Amino acid sequence: MRQRFQPAWATLALAGLALNACATRPPASDPDAVAEYEQTNDPLEPTNRFFYGVNDKLQRYALNPVSQGYVHVVPPPVRGGVHNVLSNLTSPVTFADDVTQANPRRAGTTFMRFVINSTAGGLGIFDVATGWGYPMHDTDFNVTLALWGVPAGPYLYLPVLGPSSPRGVAGYGADIVLDPFTWVPRGYGLITFNWARYGLTLVDRYSRYAGDIKHVKEGALDPYATFRSLYRQNLAARVAAARQDDPGTPPAWSPPPPK
Amino acid sequence: MIMTPKVTRRTFLALTGAACLLTVVAAPRAFAQTSPANAFVRQFADQLVAIINGPDAASVRKAALGPVIDHDVDVARIARFCLGRFWNSATPAQQAQYTTVFHQVLLNAISGHLGDYKGVSYAMTGDSPQGANTLVGTRITRPNAATVDVQWVVETTPAGPKVVDVIAEGTSMRLTSRSDYASFLTQHGDDVGALIGALQKQVGQGS
Repeated sequence: MRQRFQPAWATLALAGLALNACATRPPASDPDAVAEYEQTNDPLEPTNRFFYGVNDKLQRYALNPVSQGYVHVVPPPVRGGVHNVLSNLTSPVTFADDVTQANPRRAGTTFMRFVINSTAGGLGIFDVATGWGYPMHDTDFNVTLALWGVPAGPYLYLPVLGPSSPRGVAGYGADIVLDPFTWVPRGYGLITFNWARYGLTLVDRYSRYAGDIKHVKEGALDPYATFRSLYRQNLAARVAAARQDDPGTPPAWSPPPPK
Repeated sequence: MIMTPKVTRRTFLALTGAACLLTVVAAPRAFAQTSPANAFVRQFADQLVAIINGPDAASVRKAALGPVIDHDVDVARIARFCLGRFWNSATPAQQAQYTTVFHQVLLNAISGHLGDYKGVSYAMTGDSPQGANTLVGTRITRPNAATVDVQWVVETTPAGPKVVDVIAEGTSMRLTSRSDYASFLTQHGDDVGALIGALQKQVGQGS
C-alpha cells in the first residue's frame, strides 16, 4: 500500500527541484496575456509537459496494448461485472468522503449501494442498486478539501496519476488513509489483492475512456493544454455537484411526506 | 463483507419492500419536459442518434450530419467564442477564413467518431436555466464505454433555438477549445494565421 505514495511524493520533490524551469510570465504591458497566465495557473508548465510526455508514452506502449488485449479477450458482460466489483470496493472511501463533505444524503446513498450490491448484487458483480433508486456518484477527498475552502494551488501533472494539484495530492493521500483495505492486517494475500485491484482498476478505467482520450488527442492542437482545461472543468463541476446536492431536500427515493 | 445469512435475508427483504415502494413513488416525479428548449434538444438528439445508429456507410452518414448541425447549432458564435481575445486582433479576412475552417473542424469532430458511438442511446435528465440560456440535460449511454452526462446549452435566437455549447461531464466544449487555441497561439507568437493553418491541416488529415 505504501508504495502508492511514492510516485506522488517523488513528483513533488522533482517539481520542487525543477522550480527554476518555470513558465515565463508575460510582460505587464499585455494585460490579456497576464490574465490568461494567472487563470491557467501553471507555473511549472515545462516540468508538467515533460511528465505529460512520459505518461503519453506509458499510455501508448503499456496501457493501450494491455487495455486492447483486455477488451479483445474478455467479453463485455464480464468486463461490466469487473467494473461493478471494482466500483463497489470504492464505496467505503466514497462513504467517508460523503461524510466529510457533510452530505448525509449522499452518504446514505453510498451506504445503501454498498449493502445492496454486496448482497443482492452478488458481491458487487451486478449493480442492482442503481435500478433501485440509488445511483452511483463519484467523489474524492480533493472535493472534500475544496468544500472546506482549501485552494487547489497550481496545476501539477504527475507521472502515472496524471492531472492534479497540491490539494489533489493531499486528497489522494487522504483517500488511501480512509480506505479500509489499507488497514486490514497484512497477509492472507492482501498485498496481492490490492495490487491486482490497482492494476485492474487502471485497465478497467482506461478501457472505458480510451475512445474519449483518443478523440481529445486527435482533436486538440495542444493536447496538454486541453487535458489541463478538461481536468479543471470536470473537478469544478464535481465540486459544484457535491455542493448543490442539498441534503435539506428529500432524495428521489424517499417516500412522499404524509399529508 | 461478512454477514450472517439472517441479516442478509432480512436486509434483502427490507430492500425488496423498499424497491417495490420506490417504483410506485418514483413514477410521478419524472421531470416536466415541456419547455421549448427541451423539445428542441430532443428533436436534435433524435436526428443525431438516428444518423449515428443508421445502416448507411460512414460517408453517407457524415453527409447527412452537415445539414442537421447547420440548422440547429450556432457554429459562427461558437467559432468566435473559441478564438477568445484573439478574435479582435484577427483581420476580417482571417475571421472569415477561421470561421470556415472551424465549421469543418466541428463537423469532423462529430462525424469522425460515428462508428465509435454506434448503439448510442440517450435519456433526458432535466433542464436548468443558465443566464438567458437553458441547459438541457441528457444522459448518454454507449455500449462498453462510460455513461456520459451531457448538457446542451440552448439559446433562443431570432432564428429559433440554437445549440451554443455542449457540456460533457462538466466540461464545456467551447471553453476547452478556447484554452486549446489560446495555448497554441501563445506558443506561436499570437499568430492567428498559424492557428488557421494548423486547423486546416487537421481538417485535411481528418476522415
